[in-house]
Amino acid sequence: MALSTSKFYTSWFKENNRVERIWMMAKIEFKLRYYGNKLGLMWALIKPISQIAMYYVVFQILMSQRVENYVIYLFVGLLLWQFFTETTSGMVKILKTKKYLYEYTNMHKLEIYISSLISSVIGLGFNLLIFLAGALLSGIWPTYHYVYLIFILINLFILSFGVSLILSNLYLLFKDILQIWGIIVGFGFFLSPILYRGDLFSKKLPALDYLNPIAGIINNARNILMFGQNPNWELLAFDIVYALIILLIGLLILKKVSPRASELL
Amino acid sequence: MNQKSLILKNVSKTFRISDKKVDTLKGRLFNLFSNENFKEFKAVDNINLEITKGENFGIIGRNGSGKSTLVKLMSGAFVPDEGGQIIKNGTSMLLNLGVGMSHELTARENVYVSGSALGLKIKEIDNIFNEIIAFAELEEFVDSKIKYFSSGMIQRLSFAIAINAGADIMFLDEVFAVGDAKFKKKAIEVMEKSWIDGRTIIMVSHSLSNIEQYCKRAIYLKKGKIAFLGDAKEAIKLYKEDNKS
Repeated sequence: MALSTSKFYTSWFKENNRVERIWMMAKIEFKLRYYGNKLGLMWALIKPISQIAMYYVVFQILMSQRVENYVIYLFVGLLLWQFFTETTSGMVKILKTKKYLYEYTNMHKLEIYISSLISSVIGLGFNLLIFLAGALLSGIWPTYHYVYLIFILINLFILSFGVSLILSNLYLLFKDILQIWGIIVGFGFFLSPILYRGDLFSKKLPALDYLNPIAGIINNARNILMFGQNPNWELLAFDIVYALIILLIGLLILKKVSPRASELL
Repeated sequence: MNQKSLILKNVSKTFRISDKKVDTLKGRLFNLFSNENFKEFKAVDNINLEITKGENFGIIGRNGSGKSTLVKLMSGAFVPDEGGQIIKNGTSMLLNLGVGMSHELTARENVYVSGSALGLKIKEIDNIFNEIIAFAELEEFVDSKIKYFSSGMIQRLSFAIAINAGADIMFLDEVFAVGDAKFKKKAIEVMEKSWIDGRTIIMVSHSLSNIEQYCKRAIYLKKGKIAFLGDAKEAIKLYKEDNKS
């Protein structure tokens, strides 16, 4: 095992233009995603902001849920949720759209995934800046707890990456996986504490805090960003292990299925 | 000098052809109990082959004889059936009509991405960038997305990248079918130069004169099997004789 990992490292870093290539591809993809149209980066913001407006009216005004700082509260949930769904849905067809990269040269498929993830992360970075501005405007000041956000984000990245690996390789076998994933995401949205109060959610459906790997991520992110609290360490550890297991499954499927990618597509 | 670029051992490729192609989860579920009718089709059958570094090697055969499948196996795009083995030394690039490029990217971006995929550093690409564009004769279209390009333009670009970026092994699948006479001439000139550079070239073509001119050795494929392996002229003679009858 140790031998094979060290072999993995040398094969990955011996070829020393790999890191700059991944970064270059990430930048190009980011540019494609956000600068392909006139509004550019604004699009990355318009979606969460319009959703916030809609949910605010429905839940805070019409259904009077009375959550303090509901706009910011929604923002945290939607930001993380959208990162997850857009990254995973966006990568379902990655082996098809990026076929030109691995079929005609010797590029490793993982590079393609990593660069796509990085470009999503850059987008999330911009959104987090907007969030900070919004939080300050609402009178929420950063605390030292913000440092812990890095764990939450890493957790989210591993999870999104693992799910993307699984979905995109299943796509090779089942072409309707995008539709199926769309349905799962639709359920997931309402089974995650995005719109409603996390404490009520945890009380009524305690199992979901653990079953739904996003629930813990969102609740912990709110603890850190809004309430000046430590994350729920137990839940965080559980979610990280959860994400790592999914990543491992994803890597195994990648190894098993993806070599046949160009003949399956 | 007798270093091998490419070694194929017992390489076969079987495709399973089904009457109705089921590739959705829904379809799988509905067809769980009905047995699917598979026809097995051996596109490439038990090929053993060694190609020396710097060699020019031709692949000929009729349509459907497994030429392109063999090239895809060699380049690594396809995985051989169990038991087969392909050993490849060095980077490779597969060139056929307008591939290896993203249509969503500009010519400039494609040069950088493909060049990097072939092992060049960004700085090195900076240095040869103008050369590549000039070779492809696309100076005016550097920052246009290549989806607006004609197939000949795209092909010129990918050829220019491959030649300048220098993959160790180049697979040319009917590359001379597109491109005007002038470009063809230029491409052939560069190919002649690149033999000296010790690059390995594997050429698939229906144009027997190309094969005869540039390849010393060739393989003649017939229904996925080796009908002849050896001197290119001999292979072409056999192929022509077979086509007469």
